Amino acid sequence: MTVADERTTAPVAKTPPPVEPSRFSLKHPRSRIAWIRPAVWLPLVVMLVLLGGLWHWGAEQLPYLLPPLSDVGGSLSDELGYYVHNALVTLGEATAGLGMGFVGAFVLAVLTSELPLVRRAVMPIAVVLNVTPLVAVAPALVVAFGFGPMPKLIITGLICFFPILINTATGLRSVPQQVLQVYRTMDASRVELLWHVRVPHALPYLFAALRIVFPLSIIGAVVAEMSASGSTGGLGTAISVASSMNQLPVVYASILVLAVMGVLLLLAVTVVERRVLYWHDSNQD
Amino acid sequence: MDGSVKVTGTPALELRSVRRVYGFGSAATTALDDVHLTVPSGRFVSLIGPSGCGKSTLLRLVAGLEQPDLGEVLVHGVTPADACAAKMIGLVPQSPALLPWLSVLRNVTLPQKINRGAGRRRERIADFAERQAATVPDMKELLVKAGLGDALHKLPAQLSGGMRQRAAIVRAFGLQPDVLVMDEPFSALDEFTRESLQDQLLDLWEELRTTVLFVTHSVSEAVRLSDTVVVMAPNPGRIVESIDVDLPRPRGERLFGERRFHEYEDLVRERLRRAWSSEAA
Repeated sequence: MTVADERTTAPVAKTPPPVEPSRFSLKHPRSRIAWIRPAVWLPLVVMLVLLGGLWHWGAEQLPYLLPPLSDVGGSLSDELGYYVHNALVTLGEATAGLGMGFVGAFVLAVLTSELPLVRRAVMPIAVVLNVTPLVAVAPALVVAFGFGPMPKLIITGLICFFPILINTATGLRSVPQQVLQVYRTMDASRVELLWHVRVPHALPYLFAALRIVFPLSIIGAVVAEMSASGSTGGLGTAISVASSMNQLPVVYASILVLAVMGVLLLLAVTVVERRVLYWHDSNQD
Repeated sequence: MDGSVKVTGTPALELRSVRRVYGFGSAATTALDDVHLTVPSGRFVSLIGPSGCGKSTLLRLVAGLEQPDLGEVLVHGVTPADACAAKMIGLVPQSPALLPWLSVLRNVTLPQKINRGAGRRRERIADFAERQAATVPDMKELLVKAGLGDALHKLPAQLSGGMRQRAAIVRAFGLQPDVLVMDEPFSALDEFTRESLQDQLLDLWEELRTTVLFVTHSVSEAVRLSDTVVVMAPNPGRIVESIDVDLPRPRGERLFGERRFHEYEDLVRERLRRAWSSEAA
C-alpha cells in the first residue's frame, strides 16, 4: 500500500528477561550447521585434550589424590548398571523435588503479583529462606524425616523454589504499562489479564529461572543424599560411601555421571524452551 | 473556558468543570483545572498543546485510567468505568502495545475474547440504537484494508514500526468503540510513515465514523485529521480555545497544497503561541 512502510526496521527484543534473551521470533538454523566448522569445535577439543593430559600427569605424580582416567573409565564400563541405577535414583529425587518447588513457587508468584498483601507477607520470608544455606538444613531434615526420599525432596524443592518465585513474579509484574492500559479500557478481568497477558509475558522469565534451577536440583538431591549416607541409594550416597572406602575411581566416575546428567537436564530445558516459546511462533500457520 | 461545540442528543464526551491534581501540598501540580468539553457523537477532535498542558491527563480521564478530583467525565452519558465495562472505548497508546507472542491477527482478535459480557452492558446504555455497532467485524478484512494483508500471521517483531502501529489502530477499531482515544500514536514514526498512517486512519474513520479524541503535538496533523482542534495551555492545564476545522473530506494529499489548510495551521499556531506567552508573562 505504501512504500514508506516497507522499510525493514530491525526487530528489537523489547524486554529481555534477566538471564536469557527472548527467543520468540529468532530462528536458529545456523547454530546447528556452525558445529561443522573446525573453528567452532576445535578449541574445545584442544582444551579437553590438554586437560586430559594434565590429569594424566597429575595422576602419575599423586596417585592418592587423582585416579588415572583409565580407571575411572573402567569403573564406568564395568559397573554401568550400578551407575545408571544410582543416577536414576538421584534424577528422580531431583525432578520430583523440582516439580514440587515449581508448583509451589509458581502459585505463590501469581498470588504475590496479584495481591500486594500476600507479597508483603511472603517476600521477606522467601528472601530469608533464600539466604539461609539450605545445605546446612539437610542434616536436620534427615533427623526429622529419616533416610527415605522425603528430606531429599524437601531440600531440592526449597533450593529450586526461590529462583522460580522471584523470576516468575518479576515476569508477571513487568508487563508494559501501555499494554495493561489497552486491556484495562476493555475492562479485562484479572483472570483474563493473567491468562492472556501476564503468564505468557512471564514465560521467558520462567525459563531463565528453569535454566538455573535444573542444575541446582541435582545439587540439592546430592547434598541431601550425602547428609543421609547409608540411605537408599543415589550418586550422592555412592560418592560418600566410595570416598570413605578410598575408591577414587568410583568417586570420580560418579561425579562424571552427575555432570553428564546436569548437561542433559540443561539440554532438556533448552529443547522445551524452544518448543514452548516456538509454539507461539509456529501455531499461527 | 468553554470548549463546547453544538450538541445534538447525548454527547459522546462531556467534561464538566474537571480538575485533576497530582501530588499533595506544596508539591501539588494542577494537571487540569476547570475543564469543560463537549464532543458530539462522530466527531474527530484533536487535543494540542505544549507538554504539561494536561492533554494526556484528559485522555486518561476519558479512558477511565484516572479519576478526576473534581467535576464529572461522561462518555455517552455514563462514567468512563461503565463505558469500559461495555467496551465502548478503544485505546491506541503511544507505543503499539502488541503482545509479542501473538501474530498480528491474534493480537487484533484477542479483544473479542476479553470481557464477553460487554455487549449486553452496551445495549443498555442510552441511544444504543443510533450508535448501532453490534456486529463483530471481520478482522482479517480490516487488516487487509489497513495494508497488513501480508502480515496476518507475522509476529509484531517481524514488522516495521509503522505496521505495528497500524495493527494497534486496527485492534482499537475492531472493538467498534463509541469513542476512540489516541495518545500521540504517530509520534514515534518518521514523517513519511506518519502521513501514510494518517491517510489510513482517515480511511478507516470515514467508514466507521466513531468519535475520536486524538492527542498530538503536531499542528499539521491536528488540522489535517480533525473536525475540531482543542488548544490547551499549561500551568494549570486548561483549554484555551477550540477551533472548528471546516475543510472538506476526504482530506487527501491535495489538502497540503491548499491555502485554507495553511490558514488553519497558522491560526492554531498563533493560538498556541498566545497561550504560551500568556503563560510566560
